[in-house]
Amino acid sequence: MYEHDVLIIGGGLAGLRAAVEVTRAGVDVAVISKVHPVRSHSNAAQGGINAPLTDRGDKWEGHAYDTIKGSDFLADQDAVEVMSSEAGEAVLELERMGVIFSRGDDGKLGTRAFGGQKVARTFFIGAITGSAILHVLFEQSLKLGLNVYEEWFVTKLIIEDGVCRGVVAIDLKTGEMHTIKAKAVIMAAGGAGRVFEPSTNALICTGDGLSLAYRAGVPLMDMEMIQYHPTTLARTGILMSEAARGEGAYLLNASGERFMEKTAPDYMELASRDVVSRAEQTEIDEGRGIDGNVLLDLRHLGREFIEQRLGYLQEVSVEFLGIDMAEQPVPVQPGMHYIMGGIKTDVNGATNVPGLYAAGECANVSVHGANRLGANSLLDTVVFGRRSGAHAVEYIKGISGHSKVEKDLTAEKTRLQALLDRPKGERVATIRDDMARGMTKGIGVFRDQTSMEGALANLANVKSRIGGFSIENKGKVFNTDLMFGLELEFMVDCAEAVVAGALTRKESRGAHFRTDITERDDENWLKHTLVYKDETQEHGNRVETSDVKITQWEPVKRVY
Amino acid sequence: MLVKLKIKRFDPADSGGKTWWQEYDIDVHPDSTVLDSLIQIREQEDGTLAMRCACRASICGSCGMRVNGSAKLVCKTRMVDVAPNGEQLTIEPMGNQHVIRDLVVSLDTFFSQIKRVEPFLKPSFVPEQGEYIASNKSMENLLTSMNCIMCGCCVSDCTVLEVDANFIGPAALAKAWRFTEDPRDSERDERLKALNDEDGGMWDCTRCMKCVEVCPKGVAPMDRIMELREAAIAAGNTNTSGYRHTESFYNSVKKNGRLDETRLALDSAGWTNIPRLLDLAPIGIAAMRKGKLPPLMPHKSDEHKNVKYLYESVEGES
Amino acid sequence: MKYAFYPGCVARGGAPELYDSALAVMERLGIEHVELTKAACTGAGVLQEKNLKMGDILNVRTFALAEQMGLPIMVLCSTCQGVMSQANHRVKRDPEYLAEVNKHLAAEGLEYKGTTSIKHLLWALIEDIGLDKLKETFTRELTGMNMAPFYGCYMVRPSEALEFKANPERETSLEQLIESVGGTVTDFAGKTACCGFPILFINQANSMKMVANHTGTAKDLGAHAMVTPCPLCHLNLDGYQPKARKQVRGDKADLPVIHVPQLIGLAMGMSEKTLGLQKHIVSTKEIVRMAEAAPAKV
Repeated sequence: MYEHDVLIIGGGLAGLRAAVEVTRAGVDVAVISKVHPVRSHSNAAQGGINAPLTDRGDKWEGHAYDTIKGSDFLADQDAVEVMSSEAGEAVLELERMGVIFSRGDDGKLGTRAFGGQKVARTFFIGAITGSAILHVLFEQSLKLGLNVYEEWFVTKLIIEDGVCRGVVAIDLKTGEMHTIKAKAVIMAAGGAGRVFEPSTNALICTGDGLSLAYRAGVPLMDMEMIQYHPTTLARTGILMSEAARGEGAYLLNASGERFMEKTAPDYMELASRDVVSRAEQTEIDEGRGIDGNVLLDLRHLGREFIEQRLGYLQEVSVEFLGIDMAEQPVPVQPGMHYIMGGIKTDVNGATNVPGLYAAGECANVSVHGANRLGANSLLDTVVFGRRSGAHAVEYIKGISGHSKVEKDLTAEKTRLQALLDRPKGERVATIRDDMARGMTKGIGVFRDQTSMEGALANLANVKSRIGGFSIENKGKVFNTDLMFGLELEFMVDCAEAVVAGALTRKESRGAHFRTDITERDDENWLKHTLVYKDETQEHGNRVETSDVKITQWEPVKRVY
Repeated sequence: MLVKLKIKRFDPADSGGKTWWQEYDIDVHPDSTVLDSLIQIREQEDGTLAMRCACRASICGSCGMRVNGSAKLVCKTRMVDVAPNGEQLTIEPMGNQHVIRDLVVSLDTFFSQIKRVEPFLKPSFVPEQGEYIASNKSMENLLTSMNCIMCGCCVSDCTVLEVDANFIGPAALAKAWRFTEDPRDSERDERLKALNDEDGGMWDCTRCMKCVEVCPKGVAPMDRIMELREAAIAAGNTNTSGYRHTESFYNSVKKNGRLDETRLALDSAGWTNIPRLLDLAPIGIAAMRKGKLPPLMPHKSDEHKNVKYLYESVEGES
Repeated sequence: MKYAFYPGCVARGGAPELYDSALAVMERLGIEHVELTKAACTGAGVLQEKNLKMGDILNVRTFALAEQMGLPIMVLCSTCQGVMSQANHRVKRDPEYLAEVNKHLAAEGLEYKGTTSIKHLLWALIEDIGLDKLKETFTRELTGMNMAPFYGCYMVRPSEALEFKANPERETSLEQLIESVGGTVTDFAGKTACCGFPILFINQANSMKMVANHTGTAKDLGAHAMVTPCPLCHLNLDGYQPKARKQVRGDKADLPVIHVPQLIGLAMGMSEKTLGLQKHIVSTKEIVRMAEAAPAKV
């Protein structure tokens, strides 16, 4: 019998932070993750985590405003207020757990500059901030004796009478399927980078959480907001942290010009990511790039500095491309990196389905709006991971028992067996590849009606084929082949929501830049898009909108 | 470029515990990594191949495997480096760990070792406000160990783990090192003592440097273990034969400029440890009979007093 | 070629046959050498466990002594090679550290400038003298002799300090030697593994397992003998083979383990006595017999 008070799907930063919070409250909790927690994609975050530390004269309102401006005013300001005002304590707590943050001369936490902010308030560990925090949270989970269903893949949420009561999952190591009943479920399963190609994301970022919630009736909000990170390494797509620019690196075109001067004369390389990506793409499209890349130049920072503060970047550059950053500039290009869009939640991580919470990249509170500032994602995970955990602890007090029903398990077993039994058809990888390339092409750094309709048509073609893919591996133990098929189905849901949101928003805002409607339209579009799964509709979904919450800051034109 | 991979397969369900080799010949982009090739096989040739991989950027630690007998992170192992002339590559799961399927090993061995060192901060107090104060130098010092992504390569190739599953292993010791060096941790002495005293603890490493060689992140676990030993001795842990061995060697060179082997053997056993001393007798006798028992009056280097002065100069520093 | 000769402690102690056979081989080849009699023990990695800096200082002193003579160092032992290479690597890439070390050496009037190189006899033969020149001194073709190579950890790791990138032939030095004498290589997985000597006094059970595994496996694969460039490995693989094989495999010590100069000496036609082969714990009678019966080299 697998039963818990709180079940957290995903063992990354948001999931583990929520788990720590729930454990501290003395409530029974377990984490379920398709990979070992330390393999979660949180480990790939590099540059840092933002926090306004008021003891040094920084104001949380400063961070809040930078975040809201960065979001191109699509962020819900009440949510940003919560995040910014809790950020200081959230980061200090991590340090107290043992995170080895870099220090200033006074022995207190040290900062570096980061995009979209004039005040340096990004706390970091070299260029491995995500990994360093994740590993310490994992250590804390060991200390607390956290129960982890390691390498268990969730295939469905159990919703009974509109309330979330648990999950159905496969234990990948044995191939056996089980239900895990829970009084509250926190979805912290990360992003959906694999819906695009290329992407900085790991192969495991297949939007499982987004799709599971979507299928349970939760709307996915602002899915058209896809962040293309300006500096992904040529040929490999590997993330090259914004920290490089934060520490003073330049972006150059083929003529050696710092082209950011043209579009962001004030913030230069540290303008918001969508602004920088568009500037780069323009250079490349207009023939001032080098083989489809621009150059990231760190030479003037000096070898010792690079190795101490940006060691991992140097490692990647040397080992993957054979380029020594102290000697040569590095070729980079915009690459899909993060999805601002996600499961709609309130500031406590609660969704419209009682018992179902969401936190981290899979959620959309919204704090990032139409564009996320660098180093705000790590902050988002720990603040809202904690809050979801805390709120779930309160919520379950009103839940008396567990669901007794097993029909979901039976149905899922049948569904999965049917997948395994399919006659030889297309390979999953082929379909995913076609879908992902079509998505990048249609919903790229620049998009227009034609390109987006192209993505829609491509997706329709993909949908016509997913009923026919077959699984070559018929075995039970560690059947990754079957898992990839299930992930493909999840990815298609995410892609559907992205395209729906993109076609709905008739303006350019943040990362959603339409070359056919280039201006921001606050009068009509200071709204969120909400995509609901709806089989009665033509494309399987319907889109509604909701107003953006404005508290202190009136939207103005965003200038960097 | 054309590449040939020979992969060790295993399926607990059908092979009755037997493994088999499967060969694949594929054409890959010249810049490909071994992982790119494996993914290409999985996606285009053989969907039954099971392996772990995620980030493709040497940060998640998932893709540790043995390539031509040596553990590597295949996402950053370039085909041109391991098979420059199209040689066949042998790919196997990591060693010293139970194989679940094909290239997937159980993480239980690895994480049970990690748990043994109590790998979490043990501070004597928690600041009510703000952070612990610590120098940047002290935090940067910890990066070597923090860079560990728990890929398991060191554990895979450790020559002691090959013969003794009780050894706590290089990864766990490298992790423990971080806490002994973290100024915020208040249990340095306790940790050093525990790892010093433990059966299968810090003294069981055989100094073969395999972990240093295979670690893809520069953690150099063996170097960390040597530092643990130095720290444990400095903290007064003198109850092991490892300590006696080291101390004897150090003193022998101080006195003679050279190693007095016979004395070393006797000191390491412990002069009051009769069974151990008796244990040495057969080899001593055999050596004597062959005419190669080291002289009872040890060899000294010329002008060996200079060596003694050097020692005094260094010892006087601390 | 002239070298500053550093035989190491064990070659003068528990493995005197290594010293004798090395001298005999060098004489036959006309290799000039001057012994570094003032040099101290390298520390073998053991001394370094108590004080790494002390170990580095002792080794850098040896480098300085050789530098004064203007000669490269030649060693007979994998462990000496590895420990010295690691010390050299550390001081050469950190000028501040080298300055600190030199401070202590100043009292003796020594200063290391970073120019000394350290080569095992085996590497010197391949890289400086050349295997072709070496083969000219052979009088026998040791065909039919299956030799299992056993490198010794310090000779192959860490590859950076040992400069494998610049000298890739170092990775297969033993195999090359075996082939040059006309023998056949018995390849086995443990050839670059640990012999167990470092933990002999600390965890004897594990040490014995290693000895038994390596010698037993090599024997199972048909090796007539094992050849090793490290006298510490030799002490364990030869000296403790009877105990290890009995304890772990329940069989006898039947794989003779010989030193690099002994293998070369056999190919040169030298006698058992000259090469000290009668001093081994595990009998070398059979391979001496095979060598004596081997065809003359054409």
